[in-house]
Amino acid sequence: MSRRARLALFLPAALVLAVGLLWSFADLPPFGHYSGIYGIVLGHVAVAQREATNVVSAVTFDYRGVDTLGEEFILFAAAVGSAILLRAQRGEDAAGAAAERSDRRADVVARPVRALGAALVAPTIVLGAYIIAHGQLTPGGGFQGGVILASAAVLVYASGQYLAVRVVRGVAPIEIADALGAAGFALIAVGGLVFGLAALHNFLGYGISGSLFSAGIIPLANVAVGVEVAGGVTLIVAEFLDQALMRRRSG
Amino acid sequence: MAYVPLAVLVPMLGATFLAAARELLSRALADAVSLALGIATVTLCAIALAHSVDHTIVYWWGAWTPRPGGVALGIDFAFGPLDAGMAVFAASLTVIAGVFSWRFLAEVDALYHAILLVFLAAMVGFSLSGDLFNMFVFFELMSVSAYVLAGFKIDQRSPIEGSLNFAITNSAGAILALFGIGLVYSKTGALNLAQIGDQLGRHGVDAVVVAGFTLIVCGFLVKAAAIPFHFWLADAYAVAPTPVCILFAGAMSELGLLGVARVYWTAFAPVLDPHAEALRWTLIAIGLGTAFVGAAMSLAQHHLKRMLAFATIAYMGLFLVGIAMLSADGLAGTAIYVVGDGLVKAALFVCVGIVQHRRASLDEVDLHGRGRDLRLTAGVFVIGSLAIAGLPPFGPFLGKALVEDAAAHGHGLWWMPAVMMIASAVTAGALLRAGARVFFGWGSAGQPDESSDEAEGETEPETDKPHDHTPVLMWLPAVALLLAGLAWGVLPGLADAALRAADRYVQPNVYAAIVLHGAPPEPTTPVSLSASGASYLYGVGAVVGALMVAAAGVTRLRAVDATRPLFAWLRKLHSGHVGDYVAWLTAGVAVIGTAFAITLR
Amino acid sequence: MTALQATALALVALGGTGVVITREPLRQAMVAGVFGILLAVLFFLFQAPDVALSQIGVGSVALPLMILLALSRIHTDEDGDG
Repeated sequence: MSRRARLALFLPAALVLAVGLLWSFADLPPFGHYSGIYGIVLGHVAVAQREATNVVSAVTFDYRGVDTLGEEFILFAAAVGSAILLRAQRGEDAAGAAAERSDRRADVVARPVRALGAALVAPTIVLGAYIIAHGQLTPGGGFQGGVILASAAVLVYASGQYLAVRVVRGVAPIEIADALGAAGFALIAVGGLVFGLAALHNFLGYGISGSLFSAGIIPLANVAVGVEVAGGVTLIVAEFLDQALMRRRSG
Repeated sequence: MAYVPLAVLVPMLGATFLAAARELLSRALADAVSLALGIATVTLCAIALAHSVDHTIVYWWGAWTPRPGGVALGIDFAFGPLDAGMAVFAASLTVIAGVFSWRFLAEVDALYHAILLVFLAAMVGFSLSGDLFNMFVFFELMSVSAYVLAGFKIDQRSPIEGSLNFAITNSAGAILALFGIGLVYSKTGALNLAQIGDQLGRHGVDAVVVAGFTLIVCGFLVKAAAIPFHFWLADAYAVAPTPVCILFAGAMSELGLLGVARVYWTAFAPVLDPHAEALRWTLIAIGLGTAFVGAAMSLAQHHLKRMLAFATIAYMGLFLVGIAMLSADGLAGTAIYVVGDGLVKAALFVCVGIVQHRRASLDEVDLHGRGRDLRLTAGVFVIGSLAIAGLPPFGPFLGKALVEDAAAHGHGLWWMPAVMMIASAVTAGALLRAGARVFFGWGSAGQPDESSDEAEGETEPETDKPHDHTPVLMWLPAVALLLAGLAWGVLPGLADAALRAADRYVQPNVYAAIVLHGAPPEPTTPVSLSASGASYLYGVGAVVGALMVAAAGVTRLRAVDATRPLFAWLRKLHSGHVGDYVAWLTAGVAVIGTAFAITLR
Repeated sequence: MTALQATALALVALGGTGVVITREPLRQAMVAGVFGILLAVLFFLFQAPDVALSQIGVGSVALPLMILLALSRIHTDEDGDG
């Protein structure tokens, strides 16, 4: 179809769709009026039931934990998928060429950028770990902290450095991290099956609301998700950069 | 009841193990581990099926049983035999696809099996789930794994484009579905399907209900490849590896229809039931349109996998007609039809894979007469095409007969069996024509008589080299699938069991009582269902029609040549340009939404 | 709805239009990053801090990063072939 024909098909249809959605908004509850029962019930019971002060985390990892399990595996599938697809495209010499480009970058990147990047890596890691650990207490949690941790790896690359990792028997650590994080969450679900009443049952002690080790399995689930997200996003970035992000140090 | 969560957790854990231990596992070991996990999942789903035959099973994750008053805090898996049966079928097809990949795909490592297992977990989770957003999450997981599997042979250029068309169109559908879920949640405050049905049933139909229903149904129909959302399917099937096509054709698109049926019968039936007649007509229109577009386009193809893709679309249309009956007998017929057709279609895909393995080509014109010595494959392909047309007593015949009876006797649509017969005959005729040219060398060789559509023109020929021997692991699945399709049609008591299950499925208030209030299961009365005598005539008629279409195609009658300009416009629409596809998607949602807005008030 | 929330909604609408209108991929990545921050501000104003944190992480870090990585890979592939 020519561009004009396509637009002639799309624009009236989009207009009808927009009008239809606006018409449906007229029957929604008024702005700010919460008509559902879910939030009201949770607001009353969640802190008492699970000793978690971040009710959103309690919903994400406990009440509706299997949704998070599925979402985590979406990220796992995307990371593994990018590994499959991008590796198939890579030529034999691509890793070596990428390493050479990375070395040349180190000369080209301006010194203030290198200094700033190097200085920011450690605080970023601490921030990411903090947000993961306090998922059940304050806003944030495993996913948010995991993305921050992954951005620490990207900062390393942006400042013209690379991560030298020791390779054990040819296995890359970030793939392991990705898989272990995903497996960790699934194993917590199985743990609920074995030690508790049902899969993903919060079978650990709930502790005191507000302390670091409270809310049962929620901190563990946060750590699992944090490891998985950090590993997954770093894996995707590393695959795009053709192993210029991480060099294997043999021995 | 630990088998319920384990049916999802086992393939997930297996996938992470395969990904972590990738470099430690040889190819054979990875294949073996994947096979063991697939069989374990089939077993778990079969246990679920056996337990759910007499009553709906409800499993609350995290032990969050609903509060008194029917407020669900957690997520449940709530399923009956139709849902569990779909899960068993999807898992079995995954095992067969995995076995077929052993010989067919020369270079895969453990990561391929990891993604295959994640796809399996998503299909099982989607089949069993009883929560609207949880269904969406598993739907997305299914989609992401499917994008990876479709683009697997990425060293050629066309898999990238086919996979990209697939990804963009399906993501657009998913976003629309998510918007619909948001609208429904804002109105009812609930995401549990039974609770949504409960809440919606207390008020009447209003604009939010119509908009939410339109968007959710359209999102699922994109996956089910109904028109005008179907454009992505042929592009994706043409480039995906053949074992993956088996899964897509047999399970993935059918799950889109399962989603439509489940969302209707649990959440929207209480509020939309007074308007069922109008809804039926809209869905019938979509279904028959899909069937005829698929039939017409499959005639115009000579890429064998694209031909099978359009045949899949055509039969999806007929499944949608069965669901559109909005009654237990239609649903029972569709359930049997889906499995029977899926088995035979998988056998056809395996045959195409064998041809590709032996001759390194997928073009009907290029392969003219070159399949003469592939006798077993020829036999399976011809019998399979006849079975798909509706040859008694195969599985597809039984399913189609039950759907036709539901339409003609249950709802007074006396013309439906004839229309379904025509659509089925044309589609199977295209397959038989291809089989005649490839395996028997009939018709004249040389110039193709139909010019290929633009998307097909971009498809590169497969560049793997031909082999001169068909391994056992490749023809055995084909024969086994065809025999399973035959067994499905003659299994005693199958239709009765399907009707019993469908009777429970179409009662949303009973479902809500069981899920939200833990009501004990009611005793079910035995029922009997079988294909009527007239449907045997329609089945034979479809087979005869298919043979006639194939003969006309092979001999290139003057009458056939005269119809070519009619097809040219339709072929041009399937251009391979993703902007066209999204434009059609938007137009489709707009038209369906307007139809619902007018008829469902 | 407070004036602040209405302003945030209007800015998000403008930002989204801006992302669609921008044609060149590199520039679009930057505009998408700004759009991500606008969305995060909107979520904060609607009292959803968890979602806002996720949005900052995804919309302003991960998404522009993916676009830039894809672009750099296209350029290196072209340099490699050429």
